[in-house]
Amino acid sequence: MRVYVVYCHPDPGSFTAAVRSRATGALEAAGHQVRTSDLYADGFEPALSRVERREYLTPRIDDPRVAEYCANLRWCNALVFVYPTWWSGQPAMLTGWLDRVLIRGVAWDLRDGSTRITARLTNIRRLVTITTHGSSRWVNLAEGETGRRVIGRTVRVLCHRFARTTWVAMYNIDRSTDAERNAFLDRVAHRMHRLSPPSTEIAASRRW
Amino acid sequence: MRVVVVVAHPDPNSFTHAIAATAREALTERGHEVTVLDLYADEFRTAMSPDERRAYHSERPLLDPVAERHAGLVKQTEAFVFVYPTWWSTMPAILKGWLERVMVPGIGFVLDEHHHVRRGLTQVRRIVGISTYGSRWWCVKAMHDNGRRTLLRALRLNTAVVTRRSWLGLYEIDRRTNEQRAAFLHRVSDRMRSL
Repeated sequence: MRVYVVYCHPDPGSFTAAVRSRATGALEAAGHQVRTSDLYADGFEPALSRVERREYLTPRIDDPRVAEYCANLRWCNALVFVYPTWWSGQPAMLTGWLDRVLIRGVAWDLRDGSTRITARLTNIRRLVTITTHGSSRWVNLAEGETGRRVIGRTVRVLCHRFARTTWVAMYNIDRSTDAERNAFLDRVAHRMHRLSPPSTEIAASRRW
Repeated sequence: MRVVVVVAHPDPNSFTHAIAATAREALTERGHEVTVLDLYADEFRTAMSPDERRAYHSERPLLDPVAERHAGLVKQTEAFVFVYPTWWSTMPAILKGWLERVMVPGIGFVLDEHHHVRRGLTQVRRIVGISTYGSRWWCVKAMHDNGRRTLLRALRLNTAVVTRRSWLGLYEIDRRTNEQRAAFLHRVSDRMRSL
């Protein structure tokens, strides 16, 4: 499979960075083609500019970085997000990446006279989120789990109709032990290792 | 009441800014002490920097003078009014970044010795959100309106027990006529007067 990993954490020495290397390592070991974007290392500017807002319906991509992200989105058939959960959702850096990169003509389209957008990322059949939470699962439920919903519902609408979503999360990270964190890294590696192509592709590759 | 109005839209001529101006006017008329934080005009930095992330759990987590000024206002305010357009079912990145970089430990919440989160904004009595949506009402509900959830649930958990919440949404904004928009501004004005 072609897997695109979008990684977002300011600190290269963080646990999230370790999660990302385990995930990409396991994906490559399983024989997948992997491309990675590190938003902080790229120096990505997350705030949608005034010009981008004005030209939202007829976007001209001035930023070559955005063009590169768009090309990767069109290339992959599995999209993996790796980030820490802050204020119950994605870091602003990643929220801004969605605002600026999911543009018309790449992620969606609007036919003349229509008010409903059509999905254009139908090449994406697997959506994976790997994240860490400072607070417990119960607190996250009370807060509304917005990060999970943004990807599992909103981004998923732009992907293939039968796209599968996978959620790999560690809660209570501030109070966790080394053993628990290592167990989570193993879980990430295991989940990435067995990330399978969508069932239709398997069916096509078999001769019945 | 001391009120902080937080506005997040890149275009100063946008309808979002018209809403914020209406809210400010109605609140000032009622004698409230209003401060408007226009995040784009303040050139507020969206992403938390590596240094800020490292200082997050230290004694001095606020490194940026703009964030520090906003945090000083947040500590004194008794009501929040958030005005923003909903993009991809949540708030614009700059507003999410504002929560991350201003509502740090000691300002938005307090971490106790067991790393449990305790309320930090117990002086806040009201949270009001006003947002515009491109989608229809039921589509917004199906996507779970994540900006609203973040402000009325995640932020609400850190304010006073008695904090009241309210929400105003203008749906399918691209199809709204000028009359409908004007009517919405009236609703905003009425809601702010009754704060």
